[in-house]
This record gives sequence, structure tokens and C-alpha cells, in this order.
Amino acid sequence: MAMTHRQRILAAARGEHLDKAPFGARIDLWYGYHLAHGTLPKKYQGWSLVDILRDQGSGILYRGYAIVKEKYLDMEVIEKTAPPYISTEYRTPIGIIAKKEVLDTSEGALVKYEMEKLFKSVKDYPVIRYVFEHTEPVDDFATYNRMRAEVGEDGLVLTGAQFWSPVQRVMREIMGYDVFFYELADRPAEVESLIEVMKDLSRRKLRLALKSDMEIFNVCANWSDDIHTPVFRKYFIPWFQEVCDFLHSHGRLTMAHVDGEMRRLNPFFKETRIDVAEAVTPAPQTRVPMKEFREQLGENVTIWGGIPSILFEPMYSDKEFDDYIKNLFQEAAPGYRLILGMGDNLPFDGNIERVGWVVELIDKYGKLPIQV
Amino acid sequence: MSDLSSLIKAIVAGDRDKAVQFTNEALRAGVKSSDIITKGLQPGMATVGEKFSSGEYFLPDMLMAARAMKTALEVLQPLLTKAGMPTIGRVVIGTVQGDMHDIGKNVVATFLGGSGFEVFDLGLNVPDQQFIDAVREKKANILGLSALLTTTMPAMGRIIKELEKVGLRSRVKIIVGGAPITPQYAKFIGADAYAHDGGEAIPVCKQLVGK
Repeated sequence: MAMTHRQRILAAARGEHLDKAPFGARIDLWYGYHLAHGTLPKKYQGWSLVDILRDQGSGILYRGYAIVKEKYLDMEVIEKTAPPYISTEYRTPIGIIAKKEVLDTSEGALVKYEMEKLFKSVKDYPVIRYVFEHTEPVDDFATYNRMRAEVGEDGLVLTGAQFWSPVQRVMREIMGYDVFFYELADRPAEVESLIEVMKDLSRRKLRLALKSDMEIFNVCANWSDDIHTPVFRKYFIPWFQEVCDFLHSHGRLTMAHVDGEMRRLNPFFKETRIDVAEAVTPAPQTRVPMKEFREQLGENVTIWGGIPSILFEPMYSDKEFDDYIKNLFQEAAPGYRLILGMGDNLPFDGNIERVGWVVELIDKYGKLPIQV
Repeated sequence: MSDLSSLIKAIVAGDRDKAVQFTNEALRAGVKSSDIITKGLQPGMATVGEKFSSGEYFLPDMLMAARAMKTALEVLQPLLTKAGMPTIGRVVIGTVQGDMHDIGKNVVATFLGGSGFEVFDLGLNVPDQQFIDAVREKKANILGLSALLTTTMPAMGRIIKELEKVGLRSRVKIIVGGAPITPQYAKFIGADAYAHDGGEAIPVCKQLVGK
């Protein structure tokens, strides 16, 4: 009996040899945009994302955003909405911290961006620690289970940024990129104490998430060379090793969403023990060719991705698209530990028919092992 | 003239305390504030940009250097108000409408400012018309457009077309950048230049204004 898309993707993630490369396409950005604007192609109006990908013949990468939520104890959380802004105050016995987010629909689906971070000055350190020390993870498997049932054997459901590494959470969510590096230079002990609090919370969240049947855990979002390599070595790698050992011991796989410039971080990927590098985005969208990704990540890491988003745009002709995929297979030879996918999404002005075309090109060029 | 090599080294090392110390020492030694900028701060920032482009420095190293330079500039600011800041060109820069990402744009703006350009940073989520108005009002030599999303990058092409429509296109050079942007895309939409990062943006912008 033929393997399903889900089985094929998981087999490639585990490093098993298949007869041809699997394909897990991600189109939520394209779908959300056109659904919100009423501009889905005529053929697909009224269709679900999952059914569109089924029609194109590809496997599905379906992104949910959380399977574990955070509940705040021993504090008052006050949220005020004044569209498009949401202001949230955390009133604790030792002080108040606040953040301001803006609701944006530029990407189709509603996305929250933080306009004001929780950390504003040195006096916020103890309050932020208090908030996350008094945060309790609670399961939120209902959405995940619904999406899982919808996808069935045609793909996988993955989470968004919720399990990203503790240091990345402090860097991106709590402080903001530039402030994080200034604080790390000026007050390293304070920053490290915050990272430790986040680690503890992350461990509790992961233990709870194990009660779901999620096969692959996305343990870090949006990697790129912006993450300082010395910081990556000191703070990221030990955490990933701990998380991977923990999840592997429970039979689960791990992945990182690596859709940025990766030349400087690729050499360290193997050390993290992460199984899958997802949303790998080679040249021309970044400066790293597929061949370099393949060589740097080694034989124990599965690449899920390889097709830059911009290749789906009208700027690239059908012939250029075809040539790119053909060359991609050559550079990824022999092609094991490869799941074709987008780096990282079908763009809003991308051609959905090219998803189905990838399926045809896999039949043409993606039989394994690929001979160079 | 006082030797500004220590100041250059402080900027390259991202050491703001030393940058302030050597700026004050140079002032006490009678060095003109404009010379401190053009012969101390700007060469320091140029070196940092080169080190980033060559792979020796990381983005945080650039941020630390920029912070050191800004702190040194604060020392010079009262004197510069009288003499005026030396400038090699005016740049209007911003992240296009609908896009809330600004790390890369901020680095480019800081580095251009540290390299002798007068920079007008419009921030993020900037409406098309605001770019047009700023180019006109600031008499910009360069317009820098940043986008991180494939959904927002078409704004760049729209702005270029609008500049053509209102007769401003020939007066301003346009440089674009951001994660999904490539040299091919820059050419496709009719921009004059593309820069991959802050380090690359400095020589490209200097070339655009003939420096």
C-alpha cells in the first residue's frame, strides 16, 4: 500500500530512504490574504486551504499557533483594545509592566506586532521575572486536534513560535533585538536571570505539550544570521541539546524554522541535535546555495524547504522556475533527508498552480537517489 | 592636529565610554567638531561596515558601534548646532506601509548617519504618500525603502511609479532592501540600487551621490 504524505514526510524527517522526495507545501499566507480580500482564484472560492493543497496534489504543512497557552497567576492582567492597538498591563505585587501591540492584516490573517515591549528599563527586570515565574502552562489541544483531523494523512500540523528558545523569546518578544544586545553588554547577569526564568517556563510547557500527539516540535522560530554567533553558541545550543534529548527520549522529532540568511549559523546546526531545518531558503532569496545548505547541515539533518518564496512570483518565468527545481535536486543529491517546501510560504502574489507543478517536477527530477 | 586613531578604535570596538572620552580629549586638544566626525567617527563606522560585509563582524557589533558613535555625537551636538553638521547627502528612509519590521532599516539608517549622510528616518509602516512628501520637502538625494514581507514589497514599485508621476523620480536615487528583496527585484521595479545589509548600504549610497 502506498505511503501517505504524512508518512512520507515523517519518514524523511527520521532519515529513512524513500523512492522520491516528499513535498510539504505551506500556503497560509497566500490563502489568508486572498480569503480576507475575497480574491481567491475563481476555481478555489469557498475552498479550504487543505482542500486547495489536496487539489494541487502536494503534502500539507499546516501551521497552528499554539497547543499550550499561558495562564497568569497572582497578578492582574488588564487588556485594553483601541483598534488597531491592544495595550496589556501586568499588575503584580512588586510592580507593573506593560506592552502595546498593533493588529495588522497586511499578511491577510490578523497578526499582532509588538509596538512597545515589556522591557523598558532596568527596573522592569524583577517584575518580568515575577510574571513568568507565575505563569502556568495550560493545554489548548482543541484547535490542534481540529486541524489534525482536517489534514488527516495528507500532511502535518506544526506550531508557530510558541516553543522558541528562551533566549530568543527574551531577545525578540520581551526586549527587542537591539535592546537585548545593549542589555547583554551592560547587564549580562540580569539578562541571564531572565533567560533562566524563561527556560523553566519552557520546560513546563514542553512537558505539557507531550500529552498531544504532535510528531515534530518546532523549537525555534525565524533563525537568521541576525542571531549573533557567539550568543548562539553560548545560549542557544545548550538549550537545543537539552530540548532535543528530552523530546527524542519521548519519541518526538524537533525542527527549527530557518528562513533567513544562514551562512554563519549553518555550521552550528549539527551541534543542536535538531532533526529538521524547516523553511530553508536558498539563493536567490538569500546568499546561500542549496549545495552549501546540504553540505553544512550534514547527513543527520533533514532539510524541509528549498524553494524560495520569490520563485513563485510572476517576476520568475515558468522556465526559470523549472530550471530552479531541476538544479535544486542536483544540489541536494542524493536527495535523502529532503522534504520539498517553501522558504517560507507561498507569497500573496504567487502562482498557486506552481505548487502542483512542483509535484510534477518531483516525478520528473526527484526520484531518489538523485544521480548527478 | 590630535591623533584620532584612538577614537576610531573605540568606535570599531563599540566602546561608548572610550568614544566619549576620546571625543572630549580631541575637543580639548582643539580639534574641530567637524573633523572629529569626518576623521574619527565616520572612518570608524566605515571600518565597522567593512568588517560586517567581510563576515568578521555580526549585526550586534554594528549596533554597539552605532551606539558608541551616537553617544560621541551627543557630546558634539551643541557645537554642531552652531557650525552645522557636515553632510555628503540627504537620505529619506523608512519601512513601507503594512510592514512592522525595522531592525535592518534602523541599522542602515544609523550607518548612513554615521557615514556622513543626513538621514530622515520615517519609521515603519510608512504610507506611500509620506515617502513622496518627504522626498520633496527634504530635497532628498536618496530614498531608501525597506520591506520584510512579500505582501508589502510591492509598495516599493508603487512609490517609484508615483515619484515618476509627480516628476520627482529624476531628482532622487532609490535604494531598496529587506529579506525578500533581491538585486533582480530591485531592477524589476526600477530602483537604482540594492543593498543586502547596512555594511553594503554605505558604499552603495556613496556611489549613488558620486562620493
